Amino acid sequence: MRRPGTRSLAGGAAGIIAGVIGGIALSSVSAASGPARAAPGLDAVHVPPVLTRPGEPVTLRYAIVCAPSDDGEPCDGAGSVHVRAGQSGAFEELALKRGEDSSEGRYSADLPPEIASSRAGFSYYAILRDRSDGATITVPAGGADAPQRSVPLRNVTEIALGAHVFGHDRAPDTRVVAAAWGSGVGEAGLAGSRELGFVGPSSFDVAADGTVALLDQVNGRVQRWTPAGIKATNVEVSGGLADFALEPGGVLDVLEPPSRTTPAPVLRSFRGDGTPRWAQRLSDRTWAKLAAGPTGPVVQQQPSEQWLPVSEHGAALARAEQAGDGRPGRPFAGGREVVVERVGVGELRLAELSGDVALRSWRITSTTPLGEVQLAEPHGSHLVVVMKTYTEDRSEYRVFVLDRSGLVNSFAVESLEWAESAPLARFRLAGSSLYRLGSTRTGLSVDRFDLEVPR
Amino acid sequence: MKAFLVTFGVAVVLAGAASAQAYHRFWANCDYGAPTFMTTITRDAAQSYANAARYEGYQWGGGCWNYDDSDSYPNDAPGDPSAHGEGGDCSGLTFKTWRESTDDWRDGRYYWRALRNVHGPYTAGDFKNGFGAPNHVVGKSTAGVMDAFASSTHIGMIFMRSLYGGDQIVEAKCEACGTNIFYRTYRSDPSYGGVARWGWTG
Repeated sequence: MRRPGTRSLAGGAAGIIAGVIGGIALSSVSAASGPARAAPGLDAVHVPPVLTRPGEPVTLRYAIVCAPSDDGEPCDGAGSVHVRAGQSGAFEELALKRGEDSSEGRYSADLPPEIASSRAGFSYYAILRDRSDGATITVPAGGADAPQRSVPLRNVTEIALGAHVFGHDRAPDTRVVAAAWGSGVGEAGLAGSRELGFVGPSSFDVAADGTVALLDQVNGRVQRWTPAGIKATNVEVSGGLADFALEPGGVLDVLEPPSRTTPAPVLRSFRGDGTPRWAQRLSDRTWAKLAAGPTGPVVQQQPSEQWLPVSEHGAALARAEQAGDGRPGRPFAGGREVVVERVGVGELRLAELSGDVALRSWRITSTTPLGEVQLAEPHGSHLVVVMKTYTEDRSEYRVFVLDRSGLVNSFAVESLEWAESAPLARFRLAGSSLYRLGSTRTGLSVDRFDLEVPR
Repeated sequence: MKAFLVTFGVAVVLAGAASAQAYHRFWANCDYGAPTFMTTITRDAAQSYANAARYEGYQWGGGCWNYDDSDSYPNDAPGDPSAHGEGGDCSGLTFKTWRESTDDWRDGRYYWRALRNVHGPYTAGDFKNGFGAPNHVVGKSTAGVMDAFASSTHIGMIFMRSLYGGDQIVEAKCEACGTNIFYRTYRSDPSYGGVARWGWTG
């Protein structure tokens, strides 16, 4: 065996050093592609009473969520609500009381009657504190610049539905899209298994010209059904249950859920050809629904329970800018917004606002439990509302066309939900038609219901 | 040059393997100690416990996490408990959050630290059926904070109801989803039922 020379020894030593550095670097790259750091930290939950009835007492309740302590006891919290009658002016500070029951939020403040019953409503925000470490959180994050706004329901149109009779669904007027499960053009991606449940295309939207755009996130693409045919456009998305909106001009907005690799929700904006424009983290931790607003995409978020803009005129807004523009309702053209509040088991309150004044309002009650509101949008002089009604083992959607006098039109729609989609992405309103995203064992469908013909 | 290349290659493999072991350091800290018996369980303490598990990953059949706000082993094989990935699965997260016993006939309250590796005896389907002394079925329309909605394949706990009629749900749903709070409409979904733990004390 030949003795190693100096050059060989030097080369070996250099190899070891370079190799160790290289190995660690490779592992670090791998680790860096894992989840971005983000800490849950101090959190809160609060359901704002955005629409109140005259004379209704108002108690604001908050749950304060801290890091768990090894004693297993709840958070040692405190805080105050800054509240005012009406929608402008100085706030008055009310200390939160700590109660024995946390089922609706352990920390509460009863509003003085002169504030709760103000004809202009009231507005407020809370500063909540973990007394163990002094950390604070403001809810909503916009604080005094974008407080919770509550509006009184005056001259409300009352609609009592009684008990719902299942099985009398309206058939769609037209099946616009019928796609088998698969990955070819014109097919729709399906993920999951019988054991874990199935996930299909998570959302869709309909352009003014009737083009149906489907977010086929399982296949990483958006497919558009037009009179000229079907066009597939690849987009770089995570594959999670995302919401989707088609902006005028063809921009594609995809609202991603948190995931293992991206623990906070992100809105991704794509050009019509699928190339990325920007990606922006949301202000809040959780989202319910994405919509195309008058100046850009808006998202209904938690814990603020507000609609927050994520971009304006094509440019993404930083998180603080989003929070600073929070509103209680979804914005529409002409400065109008629609405010929704589901109350208790079977009550829905709705109002159309201009500024902070309710122009029209409705209160719908049902003896059959009411579920989530999928859609509440103005349509000419009407308001179109789609919401779920359910029992323990059945569910259907109910469609209401409302005006000041009450129900103009209503019908039930079968909930075709074999595969999971984004939570409030089952219906879209375009022109005078309502579109439903549905799924069965054999594939996906988009059906159209024309609203102009009273039934 | 030959010596450099050979030793470089060996060192890359060894250093990479050693660094990969770092992913499993959290697993080395998982334990099988006894839980702490408690007289109380409040809904907001349960909210805090489940909320702190956010970002800690998902492991089918698992139940150990470490509060470092990231999934220490994000690329573990799905559906394989022997992968020792970080995080609970849906029923494991619920079991630990609800402070249940590994004996299904006990309805006492047992605080499990995050690093205590325990899944508990219940599947999502068991919870849905109210199986086990601490569990019972509730009407979906009346299910409240930190009660849960369960199907035959999944369970998620109600963090809080929401304005639009859905719920903020804290859940460990899948490997790619991790553990987090999502807006869900399980309440009105016929494949889900309402389930709760007996004995909330506040």
